[in-house]
Amino acid sequence: MSSTISRRDWLRWTSVAGAVTAGAAKAAEPGRPGWQGSRRVEQIATNCEMCFWRCGVLAEVRDGRVVKLEGNPDHPQTEGRLCARGNTGSQLLYDPDRLKRPRLRTGARGEGKFQEISWEQALDFLAARMSDLKRKYGAESLAFFPHGVASSFFATLMKAFGTPNSAEPAFSQCRGPREVGYALTFGSGLGSPEPVDLEESKLIVLIGSHIGENVFTSQVTAFSTALERGAKLIVVDPRFSVAAAKADWWLPIRPGSDIALLLAWMNVLLEEGSYDKDYIARYASGLREVAAHVREFTPEWAEGITELPAGQIRETARAMGAAKPAVAIHPGRHTTWYGDDTQRARAMAIITALLGSWGRKGGIFLPTPLGTGGFPLPPFPKPAQERADGAGTRYPLASEDQGLTLGLVEATLTEKPYPIKGWIVYGQNVLESIPQREQTLKAIGKLDLMVVVDVMPVEQVQYADLVLPEATYLERYDPPAVVASAKRPFIAVRQPVVEPLYDSRPGWWIARQMAQRLGLEAYFPWKTPEEHLESIVRPLDVNVRQLRVRGAVAFAGRPYIENRQTGDGPLFATGSGRIELYSPVLKELGFDPLPRYTQVIDPPSGYFRLLYGRAPVHSFARSENNAWLDALMPENQVWINSDVAKDLRLDEDQRVVLENQDGVRSLPVAVRVTPGIRRDCVYMVHGFGQESRALRRAYRKGASDTQLMTRISIDPVMGGTGMRVNFVRVRSAAEAG
Amino acid sequence: MARYAMVVDLQKCVGCQSCTVACNSEWEVPLGYARTHVRFAGPEGTFPRLVASSYIAQCNHCDHPSCVEACPTGATFQNTDGIVKIDRSLCIGCGFCVEACPYDARYLNPVTNKVDKCDFCSSRIDKGLQPVCITTCIAHAKYFGDLENTASDVFHLVYERASRRNETAQVHIGPNVYYLGKKKSVDLALATFSPRLPRLLTQGRLWRGLVRPLVLGAIGATFLGQAVAFFHQLMKGEKQFDE
Repeated sequence: MSSTISRRDWLRWTSVAGAVTAGAAKAAEPGRPGWQGSRRVEQIATNCEMCFWRCGVLAEVRDGRVVKLEGNPDHPQTEGRLCARGNTGSQLLYDPDRLKRPRLRTGARGEGKFQEISWEQALDFLAARMSDLKRKYGAESLAFFPHGVASSFFATLMKAFGTPNSAEPAFSQCRGPREVGYALTFGSGLGSPEPVDLEESKLIVLIGSHIGENVFTSQVTAFSTALERGAKLIVVDPRFSVAAAKADWWLPIRPGSDIALLLAWMNVLLEEGSYDKDYIARYASGLREVAAHVREFTPEWAEGITELPAGQIRETARAMGAAKPAVAIHPGRHTTWYGDDTQRARAMAIITALLGSWGRKGGIFLPTPLGTGGFPLPPFPKPAQERADGAGTRYPLASEDQGLTLGLVEATLTEKPYPIKGWIVYGQNVLESIPQREQTLKAIGKLDLMVVVDVMPVEQVQYADLVLPEATYLERYDPPAVVASAKRPFIAVRQPVVEPLYDSRPGWWIARQMAQRLGLEAYFPWKTPEEHLESIVRPLDVNVRQLRVRGAVAFAGRPYIENRQTGDGPLFATGSGRIELYSPVLKELGFDPLPRYTQVIDPPSGYFRLLYGRAPVHSFARSENNAWLDALMPENQVWINSDVAKDLRLDEDQRVVLENQDGVRSLPVAVRVTPGIRRDCVYMVHGFGQESRALRRAYRKGASDTQLMTRISIDPVMGGTGMRVNFVRVRSAAEAG
Repeated sequence: MARYAMVVDLQKCVGCQSCTVACNSEWEVPLGYARTHVRFAGPEGTFPRLVASSYIAQCNHCDHPSCVEACPTGATFQNTDGIVKIDRSLCIGCGFCVEACPYDARYLNPVTNKVDKCDFCSSRIDKGLQPVCITTCIAHAKYFGDLENTASDVFHLVYERASRRNETAQVHIGPNVYYLGKKKSVDLALATFSPRLPRLLTQGRLWRGLVRPLVLGAIGATFLGQAVAFFHQLMKGEKQFDE
C-alpha cells in the first residue's frame, strides 16, 4: 500500500474519521468534510449493490447529496472501474418512486390499498403477528425469501426465531446445479464470484454464458484482458451473443443438447489421449469408467443431436487439448435450464478435470479463505420440523443453506408437510424470480402474513400486509464483502454515504429491532454496525479506520495448487479425497454416476423455445425504473431469426405478443429481426414487463419472460427448476387484441 | 506540442455502456443525450457465418474539423493540442456545427441552449487525470494519450498496430478516434457508422461571413462604449475632483 496520502485519500480520511469518532448508532455522519472552494465535499468509499458483485465505489457527496459515483481505485477486484449500472446508483437513491414509509394493508390483498404507519407501529405489528404464527402453527410456519449478503441479519433473526424455511432463487433458479455438479466432482462448489482464471487463460469456453451482456465488472475485465493476450474463444450458444462475435469458434447448438456435445468432447480427449495424464493419475479417480462410458459418444454421434458439424466438435476438442491446462471452461451462473442441469455441470467439471485445469493457472483457481471473526452468538434453537421444501431430504443434495424457493411455494399451497402461513420477502421479487407466478400468487393468497422489505415498490408489494421501506445500499451499513474467491482475497466495506432518505431504515436496524421485540436480542449482541464490522475484521489484523477510508483491504492469495499450504485443508474434499470423475455419491443416490444425454422435448410446430438472458445495463428485474438505465434501454425486444420473420411476415420493431404453450400471453414487445439466432428459438432479456403501477417509469414496458414460464423441469438431483422448457408462438399485437 | 487521440479496441469492447453512463454523470448530460455512447452493428451475414461489432460514437477532434469552420461566432475552436472545444459564452445555439459534424457527435443541450460534445474531459486532463470513459471502462477497451509521445499507448496502437480511422473517400477530415479489432468486425462497424457529408457548410460560411463581422462589431462597439464611459467617468471624476 502506498505510504503517500493523495488528496483524495485525505478527503476520505477526514470525512470517515469524523464518521467513526461520531460513533453511536447514527447511520451517516459525514463528520469533518473536505472543501472544494466554498463547497463541502466528501468522498466516501463503499461497495456497490446495483447487482451482487459488490464492486468498489467512491461516492462524491456535496452538501449531503450524492452527486457522483465512481470506481474506487483501491478496491483490489475492480480497481476503479464501474459498470453502467454501478455508475447510476444515485438514480436509485433519488428515485421518486421509492418506498418511503412503512405501510399496512387496508384493502383486499393485491388491491394495493395501504395506510402509512410509524416504524413503532409496524414493528409491533410484525412482532405480534410472528408470535401468533409461532403459537398457532410453530415457528416453522414462517418462511423467509432472502437475496444477497445484506439479508444476513434477517437470516440470523429467522434462525433465532426457530424456522428452518429460508430459500433464495440464487440456488434453485440460478447457480444450484453448477454448485452441486462441481462439488460432486471436486469436493467444493465455486461460490460467487466464481474463481475462473479468465485473464491467464489460453482458451476460454463459454457454454451459454454471455459475458459482456451478462456484466460483472471484474469478470469482463479478465475476459477482455485474455482476448488481448491472444486467448482463443469457443462460444456455445444458440444465439450470436456479443461474446460469440468475438469468438474463434461459435457453436450454435440445438438448445438442450449441451450434454451430447460435452460427451463428444470427452470422447475426443480420451480417444486421442490429449487429456492431462499426469494430473489425472495424481488427483483423479474413475478415468476407466469415463473412458468406457464415452467411447460410443463420438462427434459423429453428437452431430445428429447438436446440429453441429462433427469436424467442428473435433476441432474444438483438439484446441482444448492443445491449450491445457490453461483452459477456462466457464461454469456458468444461471444454470437451471432443462432439468438435467446438474449432470451438465458434472460433464463440464469432468472436462475441466481431464484438461487438468482445476487449481491451475488459466483454469479454475482456488479460493483463499480469510479467517474472519464475529460476535459469538448463543446456539440457534433446533427447528421443531425438517425443512418444508425437501432440501436435504427429498433432494438430499440441495443446499440447506439456500433452500428451494419453489418447494416453499408448494408447501404453502398444499400445507404439506405442514402449514406455512407467513412469508417475509427481503431484497428479491418473488413474482419475477420464481417461475409459475400464478402458483406463487395463489400461495400468497393463502398466507396469514405477507411482509415485504424492499427499496422499490415492485409488484409483490401490493400483495403485502406490511411493507417495510429499506434504505438503499448508499444509505446503510451491511456486512462487509469477505471475498475468498479472488486471486487476492479481500474484505470491502458497505457503509452509508448519506443519511437514509424519507422514513427508510437499514436492514440491520429492522432486524435488530425485531429481535428486541421478540426477546431474541442475545443474537444481536452488538450496539452499532461499526462494532459489528470491527468484530468481523478483528482476526485479520486490519485497521478498521483504514478499511473504512480505503474501502477495501486485500491479502496475498494462494490461487494455484502449487501455492497451497498445509492447513489449507484437503485439495479435494470428496469422499475419496480425489477428483471423482465417476461419482459414487450419485450412484448411491440412484442417479447416473456419469452424465448421460437425455433428449429434451422439442417445440411443437409453430412454436419456438423461449430463451432469455441479460443486458449489461440492467440487473434482473431490479433496475428498470432507474432513470438513466431506462434512458439507455427502456424495454426489451424479442429476437427472431430473419428467415422465420420473413415466413411470419414480421418486420423489425413490429409489436407482437408471445403466447406460450398454455395460452399465457405476454405484454406487447418489439421484434428484433436478426440472423443472429437459430430458427427454433426466440430470445429476450429478463426483467421487463413490470406490472407494478408504482414503478412509474418501468410500468408495462417490454415483456416479462417469467410470466411465460408456466412449465418447469425439476432437476431430480438437487431440485433446481429448469426454465428453458417453455415454448411460445408469435402473434401480432393487433391480432392478439 | 501534444496531439491527443483515443483508440477503441472493438475486440475488447463488450458494449456495456459504462463509458456512456460515466460520461453522462460526469458532465451532467441531460437524459436522452450523450457526449459518447456505444452503438451496435450487425449481426450481418448468413447463419452461421456472422459478423457483429460495437462502435463508440463521440467527437473525433478532427485534424480539420468541419464544426470549427461552420461556427459563426468562433465559439467552437481547436486547441493546439488538437482538442476541439466550445466557448459557451460565445455559443449562440444556432446548431450549425451540429449539422456540420459528419459523425453526429454534437447536440444542442436543451437546458443550457448551448452546443455540447466530448472534449476529451479536458478539465480532467488538466488535473492529470484520464477521461472518465477511460477510467470506468470495465473492458480496458479504450485508450487515451498523446500521439506525439512515442511511449504512449495510443502511439503504439496507432502506429504499430494499425488502428483505423473512420473515414471515407468523401469525408476525410482526420478524425482522432481510432479503432482496432478483428478486421471483419471493424470493417462492419466503420461501414455502418461511416461519416456523412457535412451539412449546411455553405450556409454556415455565409452566416459566418455575415455574423462574424456583426459579432466582432458588437464586441468592438461594447469595447468602444466602455472606453467612452471610462473616459466619460474620468472626465466627470476630474470635475468632481475640481469641486
